[in-house]
Amino acid sequence: MTGPWAEALPWVITLPLVGAALTPAVAARRPRVAGYWAWGVLLVTAVLASGLVVELTTGGPFAYDLGGWAAPYGIELRFDHFSAWVLPLTLLFVVIVPFSWRYLDHAMPDERRPAFYALMLLNAGGMIGFCVTGDFFNLFVFTEVVALSSYALVAVGGRGLAAFAALKYLFLGAVSSLLMLFATAQLFVLTGSLNMAEVSLRLGEVGGGTAVMVAFAAFAVSFMVKTAMFPVHVWLPDAHAIAPSPVSAVLSGLVVKVGVVGMLRVYQVYFGAEVLELGAFNQALVWLGAVSIVMGAFFAIFQDDIKLMLAYSTISNVGYIVLGLGLASPYAVIGASVHVFNHALIKVTLFLAAGAIIHQTGFRTLSDLRGIARSMPQTSAAMAIGAVSIVGLPPTAGFVCKWYIALGAFEANQAPFGFALVFGALFIFIYYIRMLNAFYFQKPVHEAVAQAREVPWSMRAPIVLLAALCLILGVLGGIPLNFVEPAVLDLLPFWGP
Amino acid sequence: MLLFGLDLDYVAVVVLFCVGLYMLVAKSNLLKKLLGLNVMETAVFAFIVTAGMVEGGDPPIMVAGTSAPYASPIPHAMVLTGIVVAVSVTAVALALIVQIHAHFGTIEIDELKELP
Amino acid sequence: MRPWSLLLVLLVALPLVAGVATLPPHDAPDAPIHTQVGARYLERGVAETGMKNMVTAVLLNYRGFDTFIEVVVIFTALAAVLALPRGSAPLPRGSRPPPTGTGTIPEDASARRPREEEDPEVASDVPVSPVVRFVVRLLAPFMAMFALAMLFRGHITPGGGFQAAAVLAAVFIALGLVLGRNRAAQLVPVDWRPWLQGVAPLAFALVAWVGWRLTGAFLGYPIHDHTVQEAMGFVLEIAIAVGGGVILVRLFLEMEA
Repeated sequence: MTGPWAEALPWVITLPLVGAALTPAVAARRPRVAGYWAWGVLLVTAVLASGLVVELTTGGPFAYDLGGWAAPYGIELRFDHFSAWVLPLTLLFVVIVPFSWRYLDHAMPDERRPAFYALMLLNAGGMIGFCVTGDFFNLFVFTEVVALSSYALVAVGGRGLAAFAALKYLFLGAVSSLLMLFATAQLFVLTGSLNMAEVSLRLGEVGGGTAVMVAFAAFAVSFMVKTAMFPVHVWLPDAHAIAPSPVSAVLSGLVVKVGVVGMLRVYQVYFGAEVLELGAFNQALVWLGAVSIVMGAFFAIFQDDIKLMLAYSTISNVGYIVLGLGLASPYAVIGASVHVFNHALIKVTLFLAAGAIIHQTGFRTLSDLRGIARSMPQTSAAMAIGAVSIVGLPPTAGFVCKWYIALGAFEANQAPFGFALVFGALFIFIYYIRMLNAFYFQKPVHEAVAQAREVPWSMRAPIVLLAALCLILGVLGGIPLNFVEPAVLDLLPFWGP
Repeated sequence: MLLFGLDLDYVAVVVLFCVGLYMLVAKSNLLKKLLGLNVMETAVFAFIVTAGMVEGGDPPIMVAGTSAPYASPIPHAMVLTGIVVAVSVTAVALALIVQIHAHFGTIEIDELKELP
Repeated sequence: MRPWSLLLVLLVALPLVAGVATLPPHDAPDAPIHTQVGARYLERGVAETGMKNMVTAVLLNYRGFDTFIEVVVIFTALAAVLALPRGSAPLPRGSRPPPTGTGTIPEDASARRPREEEDPEVASDVPVSPVVRFVVRLLAPFMAMFALAMLFRGHITPGGGFQAAAVLAAVFIALGLVLGRNRAAQLVPVDWRPWLQGVAPLAFALVAWVGWRLTGAFLGYPIHDHTVQEAMGFVLEIAIAVGGGVILVRLFLEMEA
């Protein structure tokens, strides 16, 4: 029997969405209220999310039938171990929003704030809905909520260039959403149902076949675009670099992971039915992941603009996750699943710290930002911790997952890919040495850099908190690993080699 | 309709989808690309609605004039929602194109690429 | 014809054709689509939902949550358009350090158009012939009537909330095109705008909560109480029509070129 928190499942989605619908009304007279309102809504949502995770750990996965209609006649929400991602997601939003209160002073006039915070709440609510729904068509509609809010958030801060980056993202994203809808429709025609569990059952009766494979391929391509895997990663660097820093943090840390969760859901459906042989697909994932790792890191080295560098680093880290999933051995998949969370934490830290530096000095490039560590010691330290984490040195958060993925590569007899992982880390290491050298050991070339002061507390507290978490999670790395393990091991018998 | 074992209605949908895809990738004007995207969306909706049709079926409305067999109501609901989603995507894309035009003065990809 | 684009399209076409070629033929009454979930909706739909239009029953009752998220999507589009910068002056770019005070930078101060409310009534932006203007003004009330008919009879004939919203918005936009954007803007009072825009998601949340209190399930309709079911359905339909219509009209109004 499920506890009382199970009832909260529809509300954890509804709350941020209704909060977004109310934001323009609430902030009509005083636009700045929108930021505080959004924070309040997210805090309550985080409380609900924690309750749901508590329910999960004490009682196991649970479901909720919307409208009282038993699945598959209605829409079913489902909370399992992969859905638990909504808790760190909401908490990261809770940390990012206060940072944005002061950051936006220079990015947009006050009158547009209500719309901005409405979009942030919609983005959060959409992602939460994506992770807890058990219905394919529902999944599609939530994807659109996330996608639309993301496209707009990319373009809020700037003019032509930002709009162009957002439009590129939109075109690719819309095509990928269409592929998802097409695949959903195919599965509906084959099985007569939109409910994931029901489709999984009926697929077993339908058996394999071209249509089933094409649907899987369509889902795979769709999620590849959303996660910015090579070769459909091209929309990411400009979009994430041009967006205002709080938005970059949300996009790189959270939105990109939506594709991974989606792929895991598709895996669950197909594996329940046992209608596909995945060997070739997994191998393709491994190759694409490895290319993403090396290519992302390689391009990152040549960037002078720190946000572009961070964006390419996202591509590289997504490569790690995809590599881990493709290797299909327990260590690798566990490492990949936890890296979803760790990378989110690290990337948000880095983007917020970078944003703070840009906000105070007005410069975005390494050559201009030389010597910033003297004037902004705390922010630079956070940036350094983030850098060390993302390279994967112990005792930081990044180390544990990369170690697991590397172990997984050896476990799956694919040792060369373990080395690809190491190469990627090495390239990133080179760039970060460059960055830390510029920040700490060189003399400032601009007046603004030498005179910069630390950011106000509403911006500094999130950065410091996140940097501390990067360190803590390095030490306590075992906890997320143990959490994800049962869900992964459930999935693996169907998946592995 | 079946032709050589292929369901012609479905094939027509795929052809429409490909026409839209061609418009999206080959045209240089941003508005035309957007129209290509709309054609693709229409193709997928046509696929869904076609799939729900029945030989000799009536609309799924239970009034005096209609009788079994009925077309399935779920595809209709899916497409209604899908159309709203397509409208939303088009609206956001148009707003972005307006921005691009206001800033750069052009909406041709070829000219946009020339700019520094 | 661009060769690479053609190649890409062909590469995409082949798997798609393969994907649809092996689907069960769509006209057959024994296809899964007709025998699984859909069959129950058709058999028991009228008894369980009190509606005769099965599509509306699916939209509002069985899969009402999807419709809720759908109205959230259209709201997102409006929020997106409202969040984007307006006006046409380029922002100052480059490495200019921003002031470290707390003042906001009016980025489009130099080329800002006056807001709609402050502008005196002006002629329409597009030159229209008097014939067009007359016909649109003549037909507008009939179009609105048609929209209302679709709305209120949506549970027994084809029609419903969003269809009504689209036609209503079309009426306002057509009037806006011939009478001038400012007159059209006056039709949606400024103070009401934030509330009217969000009315659809809010109504859904409200009805969902009412359903929760009545049946214990989120967005649940009391199966045996047709009056309450109809009332809940109407509230949702009206909210979708008003909210959707206002959002579509505002999308038109806010997109200044």
